[in-house]
Amino acid sequence: MTATDGRWRSVAAPGTDPDLLAAVVRRLRDVGPATLAREARDHAASAGGDPPATVLRRVVPPVLPTGERDDEVAGTWAGLGVRVALVGDPGFPARLAVGWPGTGGPPLLAVRGSLAPHDGPAVAIVGARRATSYGTGVAAWLAESAAAAGAVVVSGGAVGIDAAAHGAAADHGTVVVLGCGHDVAYPRPHTVAGGLFERVLAGGGALVSEHLPGAAPVAGHVRARNRIVAGLADVVVVVEGGPRSGALVTAGYAADAGVPVLAVPGDVRRPGSAAPHLLLREGAEPCTSPDDLLAALSLAAPVGPDGAAPAVSTTLPPAVHRVLAGAWPRPLRLDALAEQAEVPAARLLALVTRARVAGEVAEGADGIRLTRAPR
Amino acid sequence: MVTVVSAVALVGLEASRVVVEATHSQGLPGTRIVGLPDTAVREAAERIRSAARRSGLGWPEDRVTLNLAPAALRKSGAGFDLPMALAVLGATGKVPREALVDLWAVGELGLDGTVRPVPGILPMAAAARDAGARLLLVASAAAVEASLVEGLEVVPVDSLAEAAAVLQGEQAARDVVATPAVVTSGAPDLADVRGQTVARRAVEVAAAGGHHLLLSGPPGCGKSMLAERMAGVLPPLSMDEALEVAAIHSVAGVRAPDAPLSLVPPFRSPHHTTSAPGLVGGGSGVGRPGELSLAHRGILFLDELLEMPRWVLDALRQPLESGHVRIVRTQAAVAFPADVLLVAATNPCPCGNLGSTSQACRCAPDRVERYRSRLSGPLSDRIDLQVELRPVDPDRLVGPGDGEPTAAVAARVAAARAVAAERWGPGTLNRSVPPAAVRATCHAGAVRALASAVEQLALSARSFDRALRVARTIADLAGDATVSTDHVDEAVAYRLATRLAAT
Repeated sequence: MTATDGRWRSVAAPGTDPDLLAAVVRRLRDVGPATLAREARDHAASAGGDPPATVLRRVVPPVLPTGERDDEVAGTWAGLGVRVALVGDPGFPARLAVGWPGTGGPPLLAVRGSLAPHDGPAVAIVGARRATSYGTGVAAWLAESAAAAGAVVVSGGAVGIDAAAHGAAADHGTVVVLGCGHDVAYPRPHTVAGGLFERVLAGGGALVSEHLPGAAPVAGHVRARNRIVAGLADVVVVVEGGPRSGALVTAGYAADAGVPVLAVPGDVRRPGSAAPHLLLREGAEPCTSPDDLLAALSLAAPVGPDGAAPAVSTTLPPAVHRVLAGAWPRPLRLDALAEQAEVPAARLLALVTRARVAGEVAEGADGIRLTRAPR
Repeated sequence: MVTVVSAVALVGLEASRVVVEATHSQGLPGTRIVGLPDTAVREAAERIRSAARRSGLGWPEDRVTLNLAPAALRKSGAGFDLPMALAVLGATGKVPREALVDLWAVGELGLDGTVRPVPGILPMAAAARDAGARLLLVASAAAVEASLVEGLEVVPVDSLAEAAAVLQGEQAARDVVATPAVVTSGAPDLADVRGQTVARRAVEVAAAGGHHLLLSGPPGCGKSMLAERMAGVLPPLSMDEALEVAAIHSVAGVRAPDAPLSLVPPFRSPHHTTSAPGLVGGGSGVGRPGELSLAHRGILFLDELLEMPRWVLDALRQPLESGHVRIVRTQAAVAFPADVLLVAATNPCPCGNLGSTSQACRCAPDRVERYRSRLSGPLSDRIDLQVELRPVDPDRLVGPGDGEPTAAVAARVAAARAVAAERWGPGTLNRSVPPAAVRATCHAGAVRALASAVEQLALSARSFDRALRVARTIADLAGDATVSTDHVDEAVAYRLATRLAAT
């Protein structure tokens, strides 16, 4: 006899037992993820050697039948097209199922979109929400190059560095790890129609979350999701972050799991450079170009012009392009650009619009920069 | 025996004739005022009786009745004192009755007979002229303002005794000394502003087409400096426009009645704690014009725009679109013109340092998002020119100013406005032209380029027509009859500047 109706079956990922899924969800709701993880860890310590799926089956009491609120959870997931895999199942990333001492991996992973089978190379590009245009420029550069070389880009869903990485590689399919439930609109600019998350899904990427629907993006959740970001990656690159940045948490999880950590050097006088510089001091490899990243991933740079801006722009006159290429990846204020390229403000504004429509430049709080690395 | 003098009632900007009738008949001594007077008018009985006695003109020892017609119209204010006193003097024969024919009078009386000015003289004088007044008696201080109305004989009087003497023919009426109109604004010169080439260009486009402007940047980058200098870039008002502006200021009581007519467009900068009625108009009774109307045909500068409460900002939306404010009260509905150029300034984030090179921003990203969202989509859509400013390199602050002087910019703005006026009719700015008319002057390729930019850059549908109007202004500044792709592209750039890109 099964307790679950068709709804749980449609929510369960291929190879995941809907009954056990319903039971895990009930347990998560009753005791919370921390308690469940501790129970699983204690059991694993005493039993020893059991695979995570077996542990889960042992510690979660079966629930017969499911209640109204359990079905509501399944309904929300089903409405968003989310498939949920339990740890150890075929739909659950194998490298996450291993877990690591002291933390405990998530018992379930709710996936929206398509999570490619994770045997290919993957890189996590993480950093501060309050990023400079230099940081977002480098993050976009690295993400685009890595994606073009065949790596999957993984990151959180926050604004700043995370968004820059996803935005540059969205067409290749990236993995966004959320710090809240799938139905929570956070961060708001990314969840609107035409926003970043829609672009990631349209590009064949995935949004993943360990949380039940309705879970808020509280600090603890957001920090905890960093263990999933690190767990899904072969290499972690930290671009920008303050002295207490969540990027350091990600790097810590990665170091514990033996995942190499790279750090992008920043402006020494900016507080946002503290995290990468701290990591460099502690022995992280510096990442000064996509080549450093591809070497760490043991990937070859793709041949062809993909990922680099052509030497001559189709919309910008040579003088303007030359000045922007010289500043890259730092942005330039329009005032400074007009002065250095000796173009009147009126004409420059028209040119910038045309270049934006063509996708050649991006505009941020600190000015504009080329979207791709100049050759 | 009934004597008649004309007075004026003011509702908002609308002045209408009120006939003051006076008679005295047998009965207990006393003065009674009928015809829907408010408290100030009813209290006039004490003032006019004392004024007449102290001026040596005497007061009837029997019952005096004053009627203000039409009786259905509510009369308010002290401007009825002088006409009521003159009507009684006519009834008692102290003033010849033929001198009261087609005589209009406006003024408040002191207990000693002094005549004082009241607010709103200019629209009152215009109404008197239009109604065929022969003579308008006003306080000396208000005579300059009243004489701005052409085709009306204005007689200044200092006291009730002087008024009686003039009407009796014992004393010649004094002439009003006309003062020439003020044409130069005291605005500082644009040459003082260093760098900021993009913002300077935006100021020029805003002034030429009357488009609203948002300046965003950390403290000390020159937002207020630019805004204050914009007043000097606008061309002077025409005579009719200047009178319209002076009438609003007169009604609001912010204009000295003896000040000369100013052809300088008004520049109003209310503080960000101003209430919604203070900004758009309102208040008790019939309602006063707000800052928005006081800035009519000029600039309304709102510094720290995002510090204003959301509902105050949203109250601006409809007037900015329609160019007037309509206030409905139980007593009356009044409309005040409010055709303004809105110049707003704001910090990029609550602490003000986002994007600054010298100071670190201390705001959480979510807080910046919330702060900016206070500029609601509908209001932001109506601000066609949005520019981000950054502090100028300290090195450039040394030495003489390197900017273009106001005169050069003002000349280009005046030329562009002249072109627009020739196309749309006098006084019409590109800001308020119907979209279809603008589109008819655009190159087909320019409209297509705009459509693709709106789609690619995810702009709102409303911004399509608004960007086209800005493009029209840019073409006018360039002296081009047809709007081209270059003009459209520049116009779109002003919509993007303050938008933080996602990547």
